[in-house]
Formats: sequence, C-alpha cells, structure tokens
Amino acid sequence: MTTTNAECWRSVSDEGLRFFGEMSASVSHEIRNKLAVINEKAGLVQDIAAAMKSGRSIDPERLEVQAGKIIDQIRQANRIVGALGRLGHSVDASQTSINMTKLVGLVAELYGRKASQAEITIDTTGLADGVSVITNPFLLVDLIGACIDASLPRVDGSRILAIASEPSGDGAIVRFQHLEGVNDSDVQLGGEASGARAILAVLGGRMTADRERGEIVFEVSDCQYCDSGSHQ
Amino acid sequence: MNEKVLLVDDEEEFVETLAERMRTRGMDVSTSNSGANALQLVDDEDFDVVVLDLKMPGVDGLEALKRIKRRRPDIQVVLLTGYATVEKGVEAIKEGALEFLEKPVDLSSLTDAIHKARATKMVLVEKEIEERIKDILHHRGW
Repeated sequence: MTTTNAECWRSVSDEGLRFFGEMSASVSHEIRNKLAVINEKAGLVQDIAAAMKSGRSIDPERLEVQAGKIIDQIRQANRIVGALGRLGHSVDASQTSINMTKLVGLVAELYGRKASQAEITIDTTGLADGVSVITNPFLLVDLIGACIDASLPRVDGSRILAIASEPSGDGAIVRFQHLEGVNDSDVQLGGEASGARAILAVLGGRMTADRERGEIVFEVSDCQYCDSGSHQ
Repeated sequence: MNEKVLLVDDEEEFVETLAERMRTRGMDVSTSNSGANALQLVDDEDFDVVVLDLKMPGVDGLEALKRIKRRRPDIQVVLLTGYATVEKGVEAIKEGALEFLEKPVDLSSLTDAIHKARATKMVLVEKEIEERIKDILHHRGW
C-alpha cells in the first residue's frame, strides 16, 4: 500500500466513523422523542385511571384511543431502530450485491428527521426495481448520505427531494431531483481532502450537478477495489 | 393564581398530551408547534414560563429563546429536548434559559422547574415595580 493509499484509507475510515456517529446520534434523538410521547401517553392513561378510581365517569374509548396512539409510537420507534440495525449490518461485508432501492430507502429513512427539520420531504417513489450494484454497502450508504446532504440546501419550492434510480451498464445512476441553482460546488463534498471524496474515489463513483434539470447525479459501478484486497 | 405556561414542540402528540396532563394539575397551558408561532404568542399574551423544544423546523429552540429574552426578559424559559448535549445546555443557560431538561421527562421534575421559573419571574417583576416606584418618587419629589 502506498502512502497515498494509506492516507486515502485513513480519510475513508475517519469519514465512516463520523457518518456512523452522526446517524447513531440522530436515531437516538429520534427514539428519545418517541419515548417522550409514549411517556406522556402512559402518564395520561394513569391520570384517566386515577380519575375513574375516584368515581368520575369517563368514556372507556378515551383509554382505547390513547393505547392505540402508544402502539403507533412504538411502531414508529421500532422502524427507526430497524433502520439503525440495517446500517450497523452494512459493515458485515466489504463487498456484496446491493439492491439500490433498499439501500437508498434505508438512507432516506435515516435522513428523514434531518430533512423534516429543513421542512423537506424525501420522496423515494422514483427508485426503480431491479437496480443493483456490487460494492461496499457501508461506504455506499455514506455516499448516498453525502448526496442528500449536498441536495437539501438546494431543494426548490416544492420542498420535496425526489430520489430516482436507473440501471447503467454494470452499475447504477441515482438522481437527486427538484433542486434549484445546483452547481459544481455542490458536488465537491467538502473538497479534495475530504473523507467523502476519498470514498467516492475508492468506490470509483462520480457525482455531477445538472443545473438545467435541477439534479445531482450520482453514478456508481461494480467496485474493483475489493477484489485486490487493497483495503485490508 | 395558576402558572401561565406556553409549551412549544413540533411533535404535536407530545405537546397536546403533556398540556392535558399539566392542565389536570391546575396550570393554564397554551401550546404551539413552531418557534415562529410561539414568538407571536409571546407578543400577544403574558406567560410566566415558556417550555421550549430545542430542535424545531424554522426558528429552532435556541433562536426562539434568544428572541423571547430580547422581547420579554422577565419570561422564564425551560428547554426540554431529546437532543441534549453538554454544549447545547451550556449555550442555552448562557442565553438565559432557567433549566435544561432531557426528554423523556418526569412530570414532577418539569412541574418543579415551572414552579421555580414562576417564582423567579415574580421576583423580577417585583424588582421592576420597585424600581418604577423609586423612579416616580425621585422625579416627582413629593
């Protein structure tokens, strides 16, 4: 491994850790919010029970409604935890065949809260079935996240970030759409020395800005680096 | 007199349920789902305490805190958040928050913080009245 390669892999490793930390913190905060709702709902049920015990006549449907809302919050929290679990398991293999719909859907789920804080909805209905690529799943998740980060400040008045995919040769193209004023600086990923740029180089991916169509376009092909074992 | 509280959080289920429980305990509670709307309510009504979420779309909790303290320094602010970090807590206290509580919160802890906040506000209001009276006596020279 050359010095340049070693530096590159250090950048990749640092970026991977940073990304994992950011996602873990985001998910833990989101779970806290769900737990806070469940906590208040359970407290309200206790209040209702106490009122009933003291002889007040209360419609049992109120309890039923609150129980239903608790179950709904638990389902939402479970979905978020599931996404974090899938992110964790993305490091299980350094190279595998990846279903792009599932992977981009996972990243969209992880970024849901961040997008909603910017009053943006992520729409993944444009992801095509059967698009796959052979590469490193965790690094690809990180890069799709970097594409969403680059896109969010450029989302147009629709406040919808649409993500679409299509097959391309031995790889895939992912389009981040409904962007306004997008330009080359948006796809620099923090500059030449950044970790995300190192990942892009390692995976042999390409990111471009299409101002006319209002898109950031990410192209990725079946990865070669894993075959040589150079990342070990 | 009951504590007049404004609860601000973009999670509607949370804010409405907590408000209902606080009203059961005798507090006069209003709710808001955004920082911008909360600022409007603060301009229109006289609250003892504002309980603010930190992360909200648009005007976030810290920004709302700064603007509330600029407009109405006597109103006490309690931050209640699922996004607590030491840095954010320090920043909030520096900006004038009375308490920084983490979600999920025990209702009795929040109620204690609200009682403390109201007492702090009353002291500030009394001081302000005292200053005004002193000023009137000084200038009128009776």
